[in-house]
Amino acid sequence: MPLRQLRSLAAAVAAAVVSALPGTLAHAQGQPEILIGALLPLTGPAAPVGLEQQQGVQFAVDRANAAGGIRGRKVKAIFEDSQAKPDVALLSFNRLADLENVPVIITAFSSVTLAIAPLATRKKVVLINPAAQSNKLENASPYLFNTIPLVKDETSAITNYLVNSLHKKTAAIVYENVAAGIDGRDDFKKAFEKLGGKVVAEEPVEFGLTNYRPTLLKVAAAKPDVAFIVITQGHPTFVEQAAQVPGFPVGAGTTFVNPLCCYAGSAGWYQSAIKSGIPPELEKEFNTRFGTKSMGFFAREYFNSTNVALKAIDHLLGKGQALNGENLRAAIFEVKKFGSDIANITFDKTNTAARGVDIQQYTADSRKILATEEAK
Amino acid sequence: MLFLQLLVDGLVSGCAIGLVAVSFSLYYSTTRVFHVAHAGIYTLGGYLAWYGAMQGIPFAIACALAVAGAAFAGAVIQRFLYDELERREATPLVMLIASLGALAVLQNGVAMLFTPNILQFPNPWRTRMLDLGIASVSYAQVLVAASGLAAFGALMWMSRRTLLGRRIRAVASNPFLAEITRLGPRSVYLAVMAIASAMAALSGIMVGLDQAMQPYTGVLVLLTATIAVIAGGIGSLTGAFVVAVALSVLQNVALILMPGRWSIAATFALFVVFILVKPEGLFRKR
Repeated sequence: MPLRQLRSLAAAVAAAVVSALPGTLAHAQGQPEILIGALLPLTGPAAPVGLEQQQGVQFAVDRANAAGGIRGRKVKAIFEDSQAKPDVALLSFNRLADLENVPVIITAFSSVTLAIAPLATRKKVVLINPAAQSNKLENASPYLFNTIPLVKDETSAITNYLVNSLHKKTAAIVYENVAAGIDGRDDFKKAFEKLGGKVVAEEPVEFGLTNYRPTLLKVAAAKPDVAFIVITQGHPTFVEQAAQVPGFPVGAGTTFVNPLCCYAGSAGWYQSAIKSGIPPELEKEFNTRFGTKSMGFFAREYFNSTNVALKAIDHLLGKGQALNGENLRAAIFEVKKFGSDIANITFDKTNTAARGVDIQQYTADSRKILATEEAK
Repeated sequence: MLFLQLLVDGLVSGCAIGLVAVSFSLYYSTTRVFHVAHAGIYTLGGYLAWYGAMQGIPFAIACALAVAGAAFAGAVIQRFLYDELERREATPLVMLIASLGALAVLQNGVAMLFTPNILQFPNPWRTRMLDLGIASVSYAQVLVAASGLAAFGALMWMSRRTLLGRRIRAVASNPFLAEITRLGPRSVYLAVMAIASAMAALSGIMVGLDQAMQPYTGVLVLLTATIAVIAGGIGSLTGAFVVAVALSVLQNVALILMPGRWSIAATFALFVVFILVKPEGLFRKR
């Protein structure tokens, strides 16, 4: 055999051997990156939330790459800005799905996720929703996975506690005039009235505004036992202005009012919270990476949900199947249980995760857990 | 009690919106440029003052520096955007689009330079309450009302009693004549822009002190202010201020009669009816 042919054969054998060893550097360099999309509000009124979510996604990607990637392939997150607006999100979705050809997109905000869900179904792109809670997300698309319980499940837990343990009989609702806020209002009203309570006022606040005074005054004038609050931004200002209104009742809410905690003005208020944990060393690593003081709720959930996507991708590649939305959807149901230090997420028959719910009460500088309702 | 508290809160907010309305009116009636970026200057003022306060500068000084900074930013927009476009004989539509562009730059620039988060001033005294008997207001609200009234009074005085005021009125009534009589319309435009920007910034600072700030809230304030300018009679500073206060009071007090989600719509529906009946505005004769 001529020397040239011998060299060619040796090279081919070497290439075959190297490509059969997943995780090797040579393999990583020869394989294309795994692309995942993230459609988040990076500008506009919701940007504070979006930027925290972006950190969560990037943290998961960075850690995966530091560990050698997924089966030797590097992961890259492509971020698109939705501005939390459905019309903007549609264009951004198309860019991710058609130009970048991503098999999975991490989303944010109910209105945005609901807008892109039909497109995801048609184009067979998996959507992972780590934070939006509108009930309509339950059946929005077979390709949509909600890694957080929807608002009805969480509202039911806090309402039970308010009525059965705290004996609250009348309530006012302050809600943000967007999909999640309206769903929160409707679910609370339904659950509260079912348990014999009476809703004496329903007052909306517009997304992006910081003057809550007229709304708070009207709520206080209705003299309810409790004010159920469904807002996603402006929490410190809300507490500050509530404290300026004489007779404003004790407040209560779900995970979305998490930042109401730990002010003198909100001491004694109640909140349900999706159960999640954070190992100190992981939080320290996150804080070092992003220069933050803590790993907030959104960062944790987006980190965890990105890991759900990466684990399913790993499962898919392990089976030697093509990485596309259709196969990835099947892989999520096959893996079914996604355990982590942050949360145990299970997709059992439905595309919405079942998670436990804590009932917390605030003090001026901390929060304590009063009760826990385990996942049903 | 609820009515009186809503009334007082409406009056206070009205003073802040009124300041944006009169400054917008002053600029528009002089230059005929629909300066949408005014909302960005309003925002910029608040953030500059917040930054100063966070550096430990006393609030009054931080406020003065921010007002000066906003006036400078306004002058830059006038000199390098509107003047340039006017030299190229840009149409009003082109000017409006350029202004929208400047607004986007200002808002996103503020979000990038500072943060897109909702920010609160670090001064703890701002939340202390003052009992007026019929209602209670925070110290910050007192400053909102006092600064709004004082700045409006100062503007009226400047407009009627100073040489600059007379020049502004002359240029506003006939820019062509002002040009040939060497009144220097461009330098007047520059001065008007600086004054209007300073006033908008003062309003943005005080509202930020009272309610917290967000880079994108200025547009809604400007919308209400613009309506006040039209309903008050374009060119009438008093009309713009009075109608801004009236709109704010109406939006607040209407809550007694209807849910909050309807009060803004109802107020603006009333405005539409009003403008049909009196299209020249409240304080302007045909």
